[in-house]
Amino acid sequence: MDEQATKRVRYLARFILLWAAAVVFRLVQLQIVRHEDFREQAVQQQEKVVEIRAPRGEILDRLGQRLAMSVPVDSVCVNPLQISDAAVASDILANILHLDASELRDRILMAAADHRGFMWVKRKISPEESESLRSLNLDWVEFRTESKRFYPNKSLAAHVIGGVDSEENGNAGIEQSLNDTLEGHAGELRVETDVKQRGYDSAIENAAQPGQNVKLTIDSRIQYIAEIELEKAVKEHHCHTGSLVAMNPKTGEILAMANYPTFDPNEPVDTGADLSPRTNLAVSTPFEPGSCFKVITLTAALETTRLRPETIIPCGNGSITIFGRTIHDHGRYPALPMEDVLARSSNIGAINVGMKVGNSNMYEYIRRFGFGKSTGVMLPGESAGVLHKLKNWQPGSIGSIAMGHEIMVTSIQLAQACSIVANGGFYVKPRIVADSQQPAPVRVLKPETAITMRQMMEGVVIKPWGTGKRARIPGYTSGGKTGTAQIVDLKTHTYTHFYNASFMGFAPVNNPAIVVVTTVHGATGEAGYGGTASAPVFREVAAAALRMMDVPKDRLDDGPPVDDRTVDANDLAIAGLTAPPTIDVPDEQAPAPAAAAEGQSLAPELPNEVVGPTVPNFRGMTMRAVVEQSAALGIPVEFKGKGLARAQRPAPGGILPPGERVRVQFAR
Amino acid sequence: MATLAQILDRITLPRSADRVAQEYEREDHEMFRLRMFPNEHVYFYVKKIDNSKVVRESDPKTRRLCWRVFGASCATAIFVSGLFVPAVYSLLAGYKVEALRQQKQVLERERATLDLEETKMLSPARLEELARMQQFVDPTPQRVIYLDGKPEGTFAKR
Repeated sequence: MDEQATKRVRYLARFILLWAAAVVFRLVQLQIVRHEDFREQAVQQQEKVVEIRAPRGEILDRLGQRLAMSVPVDSVCVNPLQISDAAVASDILANILHLDASELRDRILMAAADHRGFMWVKRKISPEESESLRSLNLDWVEFRTESKRFYPNKSLAAHVIGGVDSEENGNAGIEQSLNDTLEGHAGELRVETDVKQRGYDSAIENAAQPGQNVKLTIDSRIQYIAEIELEKAVKEHHCHTGSLVAMNPKTGEILAMANYPTFDPNEPVDTGADLSPRTNLAVSTPFEPGSCFKVITLTAALETTRLRPETIIPCGNGSITIFGRTIHDHGRYPALPMEDVLARSSNIGAINVGMKVGNSNMYEYIRRFGFGKSTGVMLPGESAGVLHKLKNWQPGSIGSIAMGHEIMVTSIQLAQACSIVANGGFYVKPRIVADSQQPAPVRVLKPETAITMRQMMEGVVIKPWGTGKRARIPGYTSGGKTGTAQIVDLKTHTYTHFYNASFMGFAPVNNPAIVVVTTVHGATGEAGYGGTASAPVFREVAAAALRMMDVPKDRLDDGPPVDDRTVDANDLAIAGLTAPPTIDVPDEQAPAPAAAAEGQSLAPELPNEVVGPTVPNFRGMTMRAVVEQSAALGIPVEFKGKGLARAQRPAPGGILPPGERVRVQFAR
Repeated sequence: MATLAQILDRITLPRSADRVAQEYEREDHEMFRLRMFPNEHVYFYVKKIDNSKVVRESDPKTRRLCWRVFGASCATAIFVSGLFVPAVYSLLAGYKVEALRQQKQVLERERATLDLEETKMLSPARLEELARMQQFVDPTPQRVIYLDGKPEGTFAKR
C-alpha cells in the first residue's frame, strides 16, 4: 500500500479515537460525576410536595349532632415583588375582601421594600369572597387552603365546647382539654409532575393523621332549653350571671351545662375585650351554697345520729345566739320536725342538727359528697371550691357550715351531691365526654338514708309551706332544696344585699332520671330568692328533659304551676340584717306529719274509683292503624314486635287508668 | 477502424488453413469484438448475455431461514414494545389518578361545606322557630313511636 495513504489512514484513526475519548469523558462527567446535581435539579423541577389535609376532629353531642367542625377554606396571599401597581392591586383586593385599601397598599409597599416574596392578604376567607376573587383569574394572587373551625349552633354549649386560636389550637373548654385527641397531623404527598405541572405519579411521604371525633354527653335539645330559661331568669330578676347543670344521677352524664352571659365561639376575641362571659361559671366559680347545703347537714344527721324526719328539732322561736352571733329564722318556730326544718329551711333548726352531728362527722360527710375536691370533669379551670380543713374550723364554723356558709362550692359539685341522694347513695363521678373511662360508683350513703332524704326533699316542693313550690313539674313528682346566700364583698369582708339564688333538685322522686342545679348570681330583693328565681328554671328544664328522655309521668297533672309570690325568706341565712317581716305560721302547733313508709311518695293519693278512657280492640290491626286510632282517642300505646296486633293489655273494653298505657303485642 | 497495415496484410499474405480456421474463429468472435484501436493489437470483446430466461433455483432452506429471521425480528420488536406498555399505561393511569385525587379534594371540601350548612339547619334554635311557625306541640312522653324500632341509646325526638 502507498505509504502516504497509510499515513493518512493512521491520522484519521487517531482523530476518530480522540473524538470518541472526548465523548466518553463527557458522558462520564455528566452521568457519574455530576449525577447527584442533575438528579436534584430534576427532583426540584419534577417533584413537588403537597400537604395532605388532616382535619381537626369534630365535637358531637350525644345524638351525633355536630357542635364543632373544621372546614377547608381559602386564604389569600400575594408576592409583593410581582405586583406592578400596588394601588390598583389593593383596591381590587380590598373591594372583594372587605379590607381597608390604603392600609393594604401600605403593607404591600412595605413588603416590597423589604424584598419579601410572600405576604398574607387575608386568611380564612368566606366561600363567597373566594369565589369572587377566583373568578377574576388574577395570576399575581395565590390561594392556600387552610382549615377553619366552625361552631354551627353559635353560642349553644359555648362554655363546654370552648374555642380555638387562629392556628386551631384549643384555648378553652373541651377544645383545650382534649386538644391532643382532636388535633390532626397533616401528612405529605410527593407528586411527580410533567412539563405542564400535571401530576402523574405520587407517593405518600408521611401519612396524615386526622383528629379523632369527640362525643359529649350533652343533649343539645336540653342544652338549648336550659340556656333559654337561664337567660330568661337572669334578665327577669336583674341578676349579673347564672349557671345551670343538668345531670343523669345514675350515670353521671352531664346533659346540659349552661352559663349566662354566653358568647359565640365563631367570633374572634378582640384585643382588650372583656373575657368574663367566656368563664365557665358552673365549674370555675365557687360560691356559698346557702340553704341548699342543709341537705348535706340533714343527710349526715340521718346517717350518724338517731335523728329521724319526724324528730322534733328546737328552733328557738326564730332567733338563736351562738358563739357570739345571732341567727334569725324568718318565722318564729319553737320547734319543727326535721323534715320541716328542710321544707321551711329553718336556719336555727339546721344549726341544731349540725351541732348534733358534730364537726368530724360533718366534715366526713362533706367530703363523702365530693366537696373540697374537683370532680375531675374534663373541662379546664375547674375549681375544687373552698372547704377549710377540720383542724382550722372555728367554734362557730359548724353553725355556719350547717347553713351553707363558710364553704364554697361549684354548681357541678352541687349536682354531684344531689345525684348521690337521687341515685340511692352512690358517688358517681360527673362526666362530659361519652365513652370515657369511669370508675365504678362507690356507695357513700345507706340506701334508706337516700330514700328518706328524697322524700324530705319532695316535701320542700309539695308541702304548702315548702320553699320550693315553684319547682313542681306538671305530671311528675320532684324534690329539691332552695338556697339563697348573700354574696360577700371580699374587699370589706361584709355581706352585700346581692344573693346567690339556687335550686338543686331531681325528678321523678321514686326513680330520679335527672338532677338539675340552677344558680343565679347577683339577685336582689325578695324576688331574688332561690325559690323565686331558680326553682322555675328547674321546673322548665326538668319538664323538657323528662319529656325528651321519654320518662313516663308518675303524677296526675294538677293544673298550671303554682305562681306563689310569697316571699321565700326562709332561705336567707345571714345574721345581722334587719329582720324581715314575720310571717304568720298557722300550722305552728300542728303535729308533725306522719312519717312516710320507705319508698312511698308524699304525693296526693289517687281517688279509689278508676276513671279513664275505654280501651278499644286493636287485635288484627296493623301498626299504622293502631297508631292512627290511638292518636285519635288520645290513648298512649306501647308497641312490641312487628306485624299485626295479636294481643293487648288491658283487654278491649277495659278502663285505662291514668298514667297507664295499652301494651300491644305484634307478630307476623 | 481499418488501417493501411491491415489492408496490406489482407492482400499480401496467402490464406493458409490455420489462417482460415483462425479467420473462422475470428469471425465467431467478430460478433463480440469491439472496434480495434489504431496501431494497437489489443482487442476488447463485449458479449451481451440475455438472462431474462434465467430462473432462480428454488431454495427451501434459505426461505425458511429468511422467514425465521423475520419472525424473530417481529417477536423481538413486540417483546421490547411490550416491556414499555405497562410503563405507558402506568403513566396514563397516573395522570388519571392525580386528576381524581384533586377532584377528591374538591369534593371533600364541598362536602364539608354542605355538612356545615346541614348542621346549621338542624340547630335547636332553628327547629324551635320552625315548630313555632307551624304551631307544633310537644308530644307527651311515650307518644313518639318508632315504627322501625328505637335506635339504641337515643332519646325520643321532639
